[in-house]
Amino acid sequence: MRITNRMITSKYVRSLNQISSDLNRLNNKVTSGRAFTKASENTSAAIRAYQLRRDMSKSEGFMANIQHAETTLRNSESSIMHIQELVQNAQTKIIQGVNGTQSEGERKIIATELRNIQDQMLQTLNGSSSDMYYFGGTNTTEKPFTLDSATGKLMYNGNLLDDPALDSAALLADSRFVDIGLNVRVDASGVIDNTSVFKYSIPGLQITGYGTEEINGEDVSSNLYDLIGRMATELESGTYDSDMANKLLGKLQETSPKVVHALTDVGAKTSYLEFITDRLETKEFNDQERQMEIEAADPAETIIYFKSQEAAYNAALQMGTKIIQPSIFDYMN
Amino acid sequence: MRPTFLAFQTASRALAASKAHIDITGNNIANVNTEGFTRQRVDLSSISSSSYTQRYAVPGATMGYGVEVSGITQTRDPFLDSRFRTQNAEAAQYDTILKGLNDLEGIFDEIENAGLQSEMSNFINQLQILSQSPTSADFALVARTAAQKVTQILNIYSHQTEQVREQQIFDLENVVIDNDFNTTVKGIASLNQQIREEVTHGNVPNELYDKRNLLIDKLSALAPIRVTTQPEKISEGLTIENLNISLVDPTSGTTIGLVQNGLYNTLTTAEKDGELRIQINQSFGDAPKDITAYITSGTIKGHLDLINGRGAYATGAQNTFRGTLYYKSAMDTFAGNFAQLMNTINDPHSAGNLELFESNDGSPITSGNIRISQAWMDDPNHITTTDVIPTPENPTPGGADNILQMIAALNGKMDFRMDPKNPLSPVLFSGTTGEYLSGLSGELALDVELNTNFSDTANNVLYTLSTSRDAISGVSLDEEGINLMAYQKSYNAAARYFTVLDEAVDKIINGMGIVGR
Repeated sequence: MRITNRMITSKYVRSLNQISSDLNRLNNKVTSGRAFTKASENTSAAIRAYQLRRDMSKSEGFMANIQHAETTLRNSESSIMHIQELVQNAQTKIIQGVNGTQSEGERKIIATELRNIQDQMLQTLNGSSSDMYYFGGTNTTEKPFTLDSATGKLMYNGNLLDDPALDSAALLADSRFVDIGLNVRVDASGVIDNTSVFKYSIPGLQITGYGTEEINGEDVSSNLYDLIGRMATELESGTYDSDMANKLLGKLQETSPKVVHALTDVGAKTSYLEFITDRLETKEFNDQERQMEIEAADPAETIIYFKSQEAAYNAALQMGTKIIQPSIFDYMN
Repeated sequence: MRPTFLAFQTASRALAASKAHIDITGNNIANVNTEGFTRQRVDLSSISSSSYTQRYAVPGATMGYGVEVSGITQTRDPFLDSRFRTQNAEAAQYDTILKGLNDLEGIFDEIENAGLQSEMSNFINQLQILSQSPTSADFALVARTAAQKVTQILNIYSHQTEQVREQQIFDLENVVIDNDFNTTVKGIASLNQQIREEVTHGNVPNELYDKRNLLIDKLSALAPIRVTTQPEKISEGLTIENLNISLVDPTSGTTIGLVQNGLYNTLTTAEKDGELRIQINQSFGDAPKDITAYITSGTIKGHLDLINGRGAYATGAQNTFRGTLYYKSAMDTFAGNFAQLMNTINDPHSAGNLELFESNDGSPITSGNIRISQAWMDDPNHITTTDVIPTPENPTPGGADNILQMIAALNGKMDFRMDPKNPLSPVLFSGTTGEYLSGLSGELALDVELNTNFSDTANNVLYTLSTSRDAISGVSLDEEGINLMAYQKSYNAAARYFTVLDEAVDKIINGMGIVGR
């Protein structure tokens, strides 16, 4: 086959072009730090990279939700602890008041103190932060605990706690929730599966208790607020009945552990959140490592390739000048 | 009896032949870098005596009368030429498609730049934050802004894809058809006429042949042309070849003439039913007006695929290549189904007028016209956060169940339908929103990868053919140098011969018949 000048030069130009474009690509890799800058350079890795990015973004969302839930739980905890103190305080005072040696005047003083404790309890139960009430369930904008205008009894979200027709199950289940990555499931009619979200608010009903109990022929409110109020009424009344007072004290001592139970609930939720946070942090670390594996270029390896391509380019340049120039005319005389 | 001065004729013819060789060699060397130049060689034939023209037959040995330059021809292989031209069309087609797909990649690729996928992830996370305080107006505002970014980037994608399409149409109409195709076809026709005149007068117009071949090579990149020659008898002993160029329909075999000797047809474009069609301006022949289906490779086909290609959305006889129209439609499907999903969830009790997204002109939602609904723009709390109906005791329920439903829907599998409002419409894709978008990006990336490989392969084959052509038609300086030396020697030898003859005649005239002088 004849070799013509055109063939040699065009082949040479082509080869140089190829080496130059390789050099350019490797240079790009080093300066951008990426193994590939467009999906077409490595399509399957690109799809995995997109998936990973989506996953990591979701984890960020879950972490933000967890932090919000933690903050709310912490604030709820301190409020419930305050209520616990108030209840213990009330108990001490009542024990003092029930003591047979007390005079009527002293009993009246204790009654006033109990009413004071009642007020503080109501305020704490209506605790809020950033205009959102802690203990109202999904009612975050209106005070959850109010007093009935007729009877002065405690109402939760507009429901009299003494009411025997109180839908306690629904009210207890009503809580704020967020998605922390437990795979939220929603059925066709829009109802959320409760086991797939994280509930982070304590419904106030759980702390105070509800319903009534018959003591000495009278329907006595079972919730802490009204119970303490009934106690105060008994202590300051002219017809003080010590038997009734003792029974009321007994009921109070039975009911007050509810507050402790609420605290335990908060504690359990908080430690669950710690567990989930741990897992998410480990996941985030692993995801970041995987992302480095998929998307990042190994700089040492890339620079070595670059250098060897550079050497090839120089060699091609040198050799080219040797074959392009000479021809027989240099040797004719 | 042989004439005395006949030998001088032989000598002078020998000199002329060597001179011709040296001239041609010089011509070849001068044109070593000329594009399209085919090396020329001298055709020599030896002159013989023919008995029947002589009055008397010559017994014994007969001698030839020297050499004659019978012509100067090009060395060219027409078979290689036709293979080269077919391959040229293929390589040019893939190159064109690759360039267009790279433009599209610049729009949709998100490896280095944040795009629609990251805005969707951001929107979902803003919804998560809203779920923490659903009644808060400022979080609702941030969520709406994130949604606005999604609609705006959809608008941008739509607009930029249209721009790519318009650029392709411009390239096809102005650059390829007006400047390249039509002017080349005209040039070939006029060269045909010039060559015909030269040949009729007995010349071999090698330079004109080279020019014409160069133009035909250029034309071959644009469309799959077929070159045929037709002999035409001018007179006794003179037959000239007419060159015709045509397009051939692969299925029916009908040919559409583009150049017939001095006549030529030009092409134009026309828009019909949302597609770009190629039409022929006939000045000879009887081809159908619309010849789009006959262009099966070349730059024109590459542009047409990018302009008209609808991919999976093609119906009937439409182009099934994944071109700009496909990606536009894919984005429209995404926008329509996304909007329908969000609008439905935002209206849990089917109260009506609770859309989050709408189109800006009342027509069905596409990626080009999607925007935040006016109601949502007026009131950030237009987004329905909970299914619970407000009561006097609980006027602003603080549950986040509806938001969680939106998040679950955006993260979960859904059906993307051709018509999002019709549950019986065919399902185009089943998967999450993220999977739809990364799948689309993956399809484009695969197309680019594939066409890069096709283009590389086609160009390699083209290069091999070009090298083979060069091997036959190219000028090798070494060869010409050696030829120069050889022809110089033969010139010297002929001159020597002339000297010998001269001496011989001189001997006869001045030296014969002088006895004893």
